[in-house]
Amino acid sequence: MLRFIPYILKTLWRHRTRTLLTVSGTAVAMFVFSFVGAVQEGLDRLLHDQRQDRSLIVFQANRFCPSTSKLPEDYALRIRKLSGVKDAVPIQVYMNNCRASLDVVVFNGLPAEKLRSVRPIALSEGDWSQFERQRDAALVGRAVAQRRKLTVGQKFSIGALTVTVAGIFSSSVPTEESMIYTHLEFLQRTPGLHAVGTATQVEVLLDESAEAQATCKQIDDLYRAGPVGTNTRTKGAFQAKTVGDLVELVGFTRYLGLACVLMVLGLVATTTVMGVQDRLREHAVLQTIGFTGWHIFAFIISESLVVSLVGGLLGTGTALAILQTSSLALGTEGILIAFLPSTSLAMMGLAASALVGLLAGIAPAWQASRAEIVPALRMA
Amino acid sequence: MSLVEVQHITKEYVKGDQKIAPLKDADLTVERGEFVSLMGASGSGKSTLLNLIAGIDRPTSGQILVDGEIITQFSRTRLARWRAENVGYIFQMHNLVPVLTAYENIELPLLLLGLSSRDREKRVNIALEAVSLTDRADHYPRQLSGGQEQRVGIARALVANPTLIVADEPTGDLDAETTEQILALLQRLNTELGMTLLMVTHDPNAALIATRRLRLEKGVFVESSPMMSLAAVGGK
Repeated sequence: MLRFIPYILKTLWRHRTRTLLTVSGTAVAMFVFSFVGAVQEGLDRLLHDQRQDRSLIVFQANRFCPSTSKLPEDYALRIRKLSGVKDAVPIQVYMNNCRASLDVVVFNGLPAEKLRSVRPIALSEGDWSQFERQRDAALVGRAVAQRRKLTVGQKFSIGALTVTVAGIFSSSVPTEESMIYTHLEFLQRTPGLHAVGTATQVEVLLDESAEAQATCKQIDDLYRAGPVGTNTRTKGAFQAKTVGDLVELVGFTRYLGLACVLMVLGLVATTTVMGVQDRLREHAVLQTIGFTGWHIFAFIISESLVVSLVGGLLGTGTALAILQTSSLALGTEGILIAFLPSTSLAMMGLAASALVGLLAGIAPAWQASRAEIVPALRMA
Repeated sequence: MSLVEVQHITKEYVKGDQKIAPLKDADLTVERGEFVSLMGASGSGKSTLLNLIAGIDRPTSGQILVDGEIITQFSRTRLARWRAENVGYIFQMHNLVPVLTAYENIELPLLLLGLSSRDREKRVNIALEAVSLTDRADHYPRQLSGGQEQRVGIARALVANPTLIVADEPTGDLDAETTEQILALLQRLNTELGMTLLMVTHDPNAALIATRRLRLEKGVFVESSPMMSLAAVGGK
């Protein structure tokens, strides 16, 4: 079959405008498909990270936006003493936008000595000692640094908060790379925040023996009669609840992805059918020469596959390149969903293109391969 | 044993409400090395017969043997493979693949025979030389004249060294001068290369170059002498 590749490519090039338009349409549809896929993957990663079940988030009861949750900072000290608790870290959250947005910048203020142990981050630029020494220092996730073009030593402001970049970090957890970490005390003293002595939430790390739900109940019972009631959930449940509205929205985008695939199917099938109708006589000539019906079938399927795969490659490749360079993250109420290009997404895009190419070609290829030679030769 | 044996062939097809039978119980034999011309009125069934012998159509009844093989019993795929190895078909309208060069068009039948690229190149160059188109190898059909296109078509038909070459009005679309060149070429294939040719034509002049001339009249073959052919020319 390889020796017929020049014929297949030349045939596609014969109607180059039609072929290029189909490839472009396929590329646009596969771009959207991949983009939607990246959003879904980001959400799935966030909601199904097993590690989230070994961490708890203590939040103020009946509060939803981080800016309204204010727990006394010393809650962490008592929680740390509970059985099964490895550590409890008070965290102050500050962000530029509490609603769903593609440009949310989220600051988490933690005691500097805790940051290294509770967060899976590794500095790629800058150094820890600089961060620990400097009061207004911030460690910036790779994605934020890339998106906001931040470099080590640079000062930048978000609202009333001004920090100096002491380091840029990467992480095995994609959403971490969209975070900025500062000193807890520094963030508590942000003008207008009135948060000295309080924290937005306490993150509780459990040891292997602890039962997560029981510990949640234990913490909430502990503060039921306290100055500020708490609502404790596993980190996974907390994030799922916070991004609940987005889950529905992102779930709906699955249909958008499916619509894109169907659109590609329609486009490629139309082009293939037109190509076959134009060449009924040529196929009859090839069969007269000795090409079998299966040769004709394979030629048409290959043409359909090439158009679909080239479009898929362009669309998926462009989407992944844009996702890689833009480091986009969708955020709501301090929780971020990172859109990251992945090998599995690339493979899925190409596999979808290939499948669509095959499906689009089957009917016209079968029709052409079964056509009677003599009537086809008589066609004008 | 004759190269081609057509035995009691009937071909019927339905057009609208009408059943048409261009061939009814026809018999014909073609010997190896013969150049047979087939003439007849339009609709007499001569092209139908040619297509049946070339294996691109199937009879309603009867059988055709080529080189001892009953091709009318072959499956569709086996028939295609048989055509690739045994039949060279020259069309009236040339029917070259427009996206391929003259060289690539001629090479097409060889791609089916599992030859190495070196062997294919050698054979294509010989075929190009036989039709005097070596200097046009890289030209596309649109860059060739009608006569040159037909010569490429002839080269494509002979390149695989088939058992039988069939030509369906090969000069029907050409001017007088080009017709003469093409006929001379077909005659050379028969006399110099010993190829067996079966040619359908409306042109009595063209029929003259054949070693045996047949007319199809009311489904029956009638041997036609050179004088009869000339008379037909005169009558024109």
